[in-house]
Amino acid sequence: MLTQLRYRYFPDHLIGEILTKRWIDNAIPFLVLLVAIVVFGILLPGFLTINGLSDLGRQFAEFGLIVLGLTIVMISGGIDLSVASVYTLAVLLSLICVNVEGWPVGLSFLAVMALGVVCGSINGYLIGYLRLRAFLTTLVTLIIFRSIYDIVFLRTSTAIISSLSDSDLWTFIGEGTVLGIPFTLVVTALIAIAWHIVLSRTRPGWRLTAVGGARRSAYNAGIKVRRTVCAAYIWSSVLSALAGFLFAARIGSTGADTGVGLEVSALTAAVLGGNSLGGGRGSVAKAVMGALLVLIVTDSLTSFGVSGPINSTVLGCVLIAAVFVDMRFLRNRDRWLSKVYVSPAYLSLPPPPSALDPTSPYALNDKLRSVEVIGLGQIEGPEDVILDHEDNLYCGTRHGDIVRFFGPDHSRHEIFAHIGGHPLGMAFDRKGDLLVCIGGMGLYAVSPDKTVTKLTDETNRSWLSVVDDSRLRLADDVDVTPDGRVYFSEATVRYEQEDGRPTLSRAGATAASFATILGQAPPEQSSTKSCSRMASACRETGNRSSSLKVGRAPSSAIISRVQKRVGSRRSSITCLATPTTSTALRMGAIGRRFWACEPPRSTSRSPCRTFADAWPSA
Amino acid sequence: MKLRMVLAIALGLVFAGGALAEDKGLDNHAKRDPYYEKLKGKKVLFVPLAMGFDLTEGWAAIMRRQAKDLGYTFEIRDPNWSTDAGTRAITDAIAQKPDLLIVHNPDLQSYAKLEQRAVQAGIKVLQVNLETVNPTDTYIGADWVKVGLIEAQALVDHCGKESGKSGKVAILEGQPTAASNLYELYAYNHVFADHPEIQVVADQAATYDPAKARAITETVLQQHPDLCGIVGNWDNQDVGAGAAVQAAGKSGQVFIVTSGGGSKTGCDNISKGLLSEIVSYDVPLQGDALNQAIVELLLSPAKAGTVQTTYFTPLTLQTKDTISPRQCWTLDDLK
Repeated sequence: MLTQLRYRYFPDHLIGEILTKRWIDNAIPFLVLLVAIVVFGILLPGFLTINGLSDLGRQFAEFGLIVLGLTIVMISGGIDLSVASVYTLAVLLSLICVNVEGWPVGLSFLAVMALGVVCGSINGYLIGYLRLRAFLTTLVTLIIFRSIYDIVFLRTSTAIISSLSDSDLWTFIGEGTVLGIPFTLVVTALIAIAWHIVLSRTRPGWRLTAVGGARRSAYNAGIKVRRTVCAAYIWSSVLSALAGFLFAARIGSTGADTGVGLEVSALTAAVLGGNSLGGGRGSVAKAVMGALLVLIVTDSLTSFGVSGPINSTVLGCVLIAAVFVDMRFLRNRDRWLSKVYVSPAYLSLPPPPSALDPTSPYALNDKLRSVEVIGLGQIEGPEDVILDHEDNLYCGTRHGDIVRFFGPDHSRHEIFAHIGGHPLGMAFDRKGDLLVCIGGMGLYAVSPDKTVTKLTDETNRSWLSVVDDSRLRLADDVDVTPDGRVYFSEATVRYEQEDGRPTLSRAGATAASFATILGQAPPEQSSTKSCSRMASACRETGNRSSSLKVGRAPSSAIISRVQKRVGSRRSSITCLATPTTSTALRMGAIGRRFWACEPPRSTSRSPCRTFADAWPSA
Repeated sequence: MKLRMVLAIALGLVFAGGALAEDKGLDNHAKRDPYYEKLKGKKVLFVPLAMGFDLTEGWAAIMRRQAKDLGYTFEIRDPNWSTDAGTRAITDAIAQKPDLLIVHNPDLQSYAKLEQRAVQAGIKVLQVNLETVNPTDTYIGADWVKVGLIEAQALVDHCGKESGKSGKVAILEGQPTAASNLYELYAYNHVFADHPEIQVVADQAATYDPAKARAITETVLQQHPDLCGIVGNWDNQDVGAGAAVQAAGKSGQVFIVTSGGGSKTGCDNISKGLLSEIVSYDVPLQGDALNQAIVELLLSPAKAGTVQTTYFTPLTLQTKDTISPRQCWTLDDLK
């Protein structure tokens, strides 16, 4: 009883499902960020005031852009240490353009952006096209850009200080607000949102992630790897240059220390947010959280009067810790996930029927002696069979075909239709179309003239489901009720087709709760979930009553009846326990009964078998 | 009757004497009470360039001592040489609303707007030794133009017409946009303009870094083996130049003049022959001036920014001939 309650109410599958979400990576940095905000909010009186937040916002606007640029490069599988130098050069160029040369702000802005493109192109060309090591290359450009800064700065320092711009726009960029929010923060927020959409919703973003995740695979998939990598560095430099422009507007000056060590802070922020140093994993949200975290920690430590070197040391320790967690998390995530995710359910089985009692229907008998074997050695993995009105027999094959054995002797066969996926469950609808559930693809219809049409590959998403269960992953069995409704089962909402099987059978040893019986109304051709019992096979027993369905839990030797009445609750009765597992049930077509067994994979060359009266009366 | 009178007078005298004995001296409540009470619990924040070097540690030691004595709080926000961290420290400080903000400015511009904001928020701002272009309540520190004039003149005296030397000099700037640097640079150029025999062969920024100063000087010495003098921004930086000169075996030939806080380290560098002359702005003296200004600003009823004063601290010259233990301070002396 207790065991049952524990498995029924302890939501371990929920934890597992949450762990599979992409945003789970963000949970740890987000929690740390919350803790930091709460702790420093309590300890520092001015921290959570409008004034304090507004100042944090302005600093974040610049720092966040740099971290975002670095994140883009990190997602592409590289690293950009030169962000700080580009930023410093941009500060200097902005001041020279606006203060010394007296250019209009717009023109100065274009000049600074051009600077970003040039610097980024140098990095991008060297790393993307000439394929130099990112770390060393950007380390060198870091030094070169910095030297250029030192040389030019020395010559222009007096001019920068002595001539100040009186442009209102320049002042507005540095100090202005939009609806009470610092203007620079608005700019950064818009850029961050745009990048979020690019990275998560558009093709260029996916390509970037693909290149970072596996460069060779991306190349094989036809992605222009070199161009993508080059573009990442250009964007990184452009964003850094923009940050420099905003800083110049805010401070109106520059010094020998401007941008010194900024690459370390930015790197700390990017890694702390959860962006992988190895590439292929990262997001704007992570960059934003990391940047906020680093700013809050360093600002707060300064406010507490912690001396500078200790502040830097703390930041360094945080970076090491973040890298450590990043590595551990990457290495062990799948292991943790598989541990939690199996999430066994509890199912108490009725005592198995005895096969030794001679009166038992399971007792050894020779009823199958006269069985005729169809298609022996000709087809592989038939899974389900069905007969049409002309007594032709249909079954699927592992190779993605539907094979028709011509009646009445079923000795000749032809490929009825090529589907492309493994046909699992089959049923005829009232028009005479053959409905087929195809693993990994969905519900398809094959008309008598052999044209194949997709009926559906999705259903509604459950309100309370954490994972997206609207896509059909393993449409397994199908039946049609006398009123024309199509019911088909979905064997898993949690595993993909490719990794489902091994995990399914492991989880299924105790029972599993992955399946859903879906109802489909023919006119709209949209499917909704009608029942989420454990069933991978389903069969409408139309000859008995329209309200009866039979389902079977995958990998368990239970056959249950799901009773469905309009306007009343569903109920299920375990009506039969069998000594073996089975994949498909067939009842009462033209007086004969079939039961197709799925054999173990190792001996998979089994033909379709016909059983006479193998279905005991339930 | 006579006796009674005498007794009465005697008694009166005794009482009067007693009263006199009790009223000897004055408590000065009128001045002392408001002085100590008003200072108690005030809050002073100090944003230096960084802690951990002679100037800021020296000032902080002196200011901390008085704060402890008079019962106001004195806190340091250390941006560790980062202007950006400094702007954050000042913005934070404005939010915390101290009574007085003491700022050591990294350059003439960066903190200028923020200091105006602090003043507008009613916080008095005292700039120490390095100022911005915008004056606030008080500036206490060196007159950098004067420092520059003295340095340049010393160089002219040593390398000019009558000296019979090459007249080649190098300028080692500090942080290019800092007040000390730009004002001194003006003074050098002003003086050298009157002395065409002085030839500036190098002008580079060592950004307070002795290693950089050393590297620059090594290069200059290779290009100009007959270099006559170096004028630098800060003794702690230019000791690197001295090391390079010594390593090249030109200690007697190259005259190095710079400025500094007058600490024992500077004196030692002079006696070791690494530096020739230091124009000292005397940190202990500046510290006392700061303490005086702190009290004045904390007690003054004037609103922040309404009264603006400047005190250029006196300069002393330190050379091998003039240095004495009395002139050279250590941090322990100040604590």
